[in-house]
Amino acid sequence: MKKKAQIIAPELYPQMVSKSDAAKISRALRASETLAKGTQVVQDVGAQLREGVRDYVRELEEAIGDHKITAAKAHEIRGFAETVGLKATGRIADGLCRYFEEIEKLGAEPDTAVVALHISAIVRAAHAEDEASRMSDVVVKELAALVQHKLSETKAHLES
Amino acid sequence: MPLSAFEALKVLIVEDNQHMRVLLRSLLNSIGIREIHEAGNGVAALDVLKELKCDLVLSDLAMKPMDGLEFTREIRLSKRSINPFMPIIMITGHTEKHRVEAARDAGVTEFLAKPITPHSLYSRLAEIVERPRAFVRSESYFGPDRRRKALEHYAGPWRRHDDFQDLAIQ
Repeated sequence: MKKKAQIIAPELYPQMVSKSDAAKISRALRASETLAKGTQVVQDVGAQLREGVRDYVRELEEAIGDHKITAAKAHEIRGFAETVGLKATGRIADGLCRYFEEIEKLGAEPDTAVVALHISAIVRAAHAEDEASRMSDVVVKELAALVQHKLSETKAHLES
Repeated sequence: MPLSAFEALKVLIVEDNQHMRVLLRSLLNSIGIREIHEAGNGVAALDVLKELKCDLVLSDLAMKPMDGLEFTREIRLSKRSINPFMPIIMITGHTEKHRVEAARDAGVTEFLAKPITPHSLYSRLAEIVERPRAFVRSESYFGPDRRRKALEHYAGPWRRHDDFQDLAIQ
């Protein structure tokens, strides 16, 4: 028979801040001024970080044909493009990552055309002046629809 | 200023993406945290922790040669660990259910999905400060309590010393 688990209450191990400070700090962390300050910080480092995203985008473009590297680079881009204001870039990269995840679950090979279309859209979005425009929204939706269609096609093919 | 209590904290960022490290450092600076250390992967982070007792770790999941899960297990289970109770926030773009469960089972305190925002990061910090979790030590696990809520109709099995005590209190 397995031994029962031992529970160690928070009072019995060292905490990050004292109990008396905890409520005040927690309120301060959730305060609108703190969030505004954080948002400002993201804007301040945004230009530098957007260049970082574009470096990944260049590497993504160079990796066309190698799905493993493509997936890794798309993953990096989705990780922080949106945070630094490249919303469409992040969303398209997210769509590509999800496609790779779903196709892996199915045990199938990614469709080269689907990957290439995403990469092309990411490259354009990352360098567009109006990155988060309505047009970008349309591209994101169209690519999502394409992914759905291709995944259904792959599933049907695997079941037949 | 309540956040001044953060000035004394030592934080370790474990992340292989340099840009993400810049972002996290900037966000932590903005809430008053001054002493921030960085490592590019789990092995380098363990080296930092040999010399330094940190109060909080923000760690990426996918890194080489040691990823965030293995790093977390080292912190929680290794006899060499300086502070096995250290809060660990796992930050990752890999949000599939099996990865979240793997992070939970490795012993992370909070899980934060990328892309991060000031709001998402500060909320996780507030959660750790406000509601520190009990730790569980069992034959197969050591880390923060993975039961976030009590299941009203849970019929057992009862695996904890205080389970019946809890029931008695209810």
